[in-house]
Amino acid sequence: MPDGPSGAAPRPTSLGDSLVPGWDGDDDLLPPSDWGRRPGQRRTTTVWLFALFIAVLAAGNAWLADRLTAEAFLAWATIFTAISLQALPFLVFGVALSAALTAFVPPSFWQRAVPRNSAMAVPVAGAAGAVLPGCECASVPVAGGLIRRGVAPAAALTFLLAAPAINPVVLVATAVAFPNSPEMVAARFVASLTAAVAVGWLWARFGRGEWLRMPRSDHAPGASKWRVFADSMRHDIMHAGGYLVVGGLAAATLNVVVPREWVSAVADVPLLAVLVLSLLAILLSICSEADAFVAASLSAFSPTAQLAFLVVGPMVDLKLIALQAGTFGWGFVRRFVPLTLLFTVVSSLVVGGVLL
Amino acid sequence: MSRMAQGLVLVLLGAAALSATLAGDLYLNYVQAAFRPFLITAGGVLVALGAVVVAADVRAAVRGDGADDGGDPVESGGQDHHDHGAAHGHDHAHGPGVAWLLLLPVIAVFAVSPPALGAYTAANAQSEPPSGAALQEPADADALAASAPPEEPVELKLREFVVRAWTDEERSLAGRTVRLTGFVVPNDSGEGWYLARLQMACCAADAIVNRVLITNEPAPQKDSWWTVEGQWVEPEGKLLEVRDHRFEVAQMTEVVNPPDPYE
Repeated sequence: MPDGPSGAAPRPTSLGDSLVPGWDGDDDLLPPSDWGRRPGQRRTTTVWLFALFIAVLAAGNAWLADRLTAEAFLAWATIFTAISLQALPFLVFGVALSAALTAFVPPSFWQRAVPRNSAMAVPVAGAAGAVLPGCECASVPVAGGLIRRGVAPAAALTFLLAAPAINPVVLVATAVAFPNSPEMVAARFVASLTAAVAVGWLWARFGRGEWLRMPRSDHAPGASKWRVFADSMRHDIMHAGGYLVVGGLAAATLNVVVPREWVSAVADVPLLAVLVLSLLAILLSICSEADAFVAASLSAFSPTAQLAFLVVGPMVDLKLIALQAGTFGWGFVRRFVPLTLLFTVVSSLVVGGVLL
Repeated sequence: MSRMAQGLVLVLLGAAALSATLAGDLYLNYVQAAFRPFLITAGGVLVALGAVVVAADVRAAVRGDGADDGGDPVESGGQDHHDHGAAHGHDHAHGPGVAWLLLLPVIAVFAVSPPALGAYTAANAQSEPPSGAALQEPADADALAASAPPEEPVELKLREFVVRAWTDEERSLAGRTVRLTGFVVPNDSGEGWYLARLQMACCAADAIVNRVLITNEPAPQKDSWWTVEGQWVEPEGKLLEVRDHRFEVAQMTEVVNPPDPYE
């Protein structure tokens, strides 16, 4: 019973829920179905349901082992599991860092560390992105934590975009993947930072607070710091993690469904090649620490198209869109993602034209 | 999603990460070996966090509902959170419905346990001349000569073989007896079959296929593992324009205990 299709069944419902206007994270606008029942009873039911779930898992394992032979499904399941497991440490790390920012760093620190003026704060935040070694799964919750602590959203968003693209681990991986063209590392750094700062400045100038759905941190004043830490971690994993799975499902499907031959067919058409690799980067949702190796393998494409793959991927991809929706809401994603995509593509074209 | 459910989901998710790494080598089907310590840490953190959440919920139950200062709106009387808008987007105790999807990776690891990628993926992928990372591997004749005397077979990884076949303009592979190990992929669009291996940078989502075309032996069973000994069929014309490098098999033996399919 718990195979992919039936396991994925809740997805449309929850996505649908989330698209309802005015959705902002509380799925409890309606009274819970167990309204009026005694809460203690509800809790016991939950525990029994999980026990049942575990039993079904064990039975499912024994039953599925012989029957699951559909190769396409297994390849899909492998890639889905791979994306989930690979993202998990980064998600936990990012969420823990974000919770630590919320619980242990006093707001006064940020008021001193980050320039008040957001036009100034944006480039500072972009440069700070070069320090956090992690992929996009970590940077979203950290940016959420920064905003919660009063850092200007434009600066936090610049950090969100820059961190997965220009951190040292990613740059070293790029250098290893393109040993004969060190200019690719420089081009990636310049194009990514430019796009991140440009988006940040635009957001600082035109962005509006109400586009961001941010959980305010109104913890009970007496709560201990560790209590706040654990609460914040649980809250972030529940919001970001669920959407990460949505992104993983979509990326795994496209990974299996889209043959790479279709992609290679357009490798010789200059501008189209750039657009196709940008689209591929969005669909495949490869972690920014690994994408350079895949870009290097797409050798039929021009260096500029490969650069677009490297610049767009860490800033816009399915997994990331889902994560951002889970953290900041769809109203934010609707505005932020197209803007980021535009700037990443343009900046790849310009920097690629000059440097490569 | 109640607090108890959230705690249990966290525990299960952590347990999935821990069991895939500690109870065997299942994780190697999906991610690089280097991920092991990170997965163990993340799994441990999730289990601990889940336990804390469950314990807090149980304590709240023992103390009497509503005494918990986390303020679970359901437990402190449902109408509460309609009264003050503070509950919106910030109902710290109540999880979103989408979080139930976190059970999918749990199902994937415990119930489905999908195998490593194999012939299906390798058949649908396209083999391409390498660039970048591959090119830095020493492809000079000296390195090949140093690895074994010319008359003895030299053992190469499939990746090394195809890189050399595509990039070594001196063609030092020609005439050498080479030993390769990989799995069998049928060639649906032409003659022969492929011996293939997957190359993974980070996780299975970025796997790249390396393969050689074999035409002088009948195809063994798909996905079976073989070690073949033979020679590179030296192509005419430019090396980089070859689509698949051919390999002429002199002898082949089935591998009983197949290794990690990624190299």
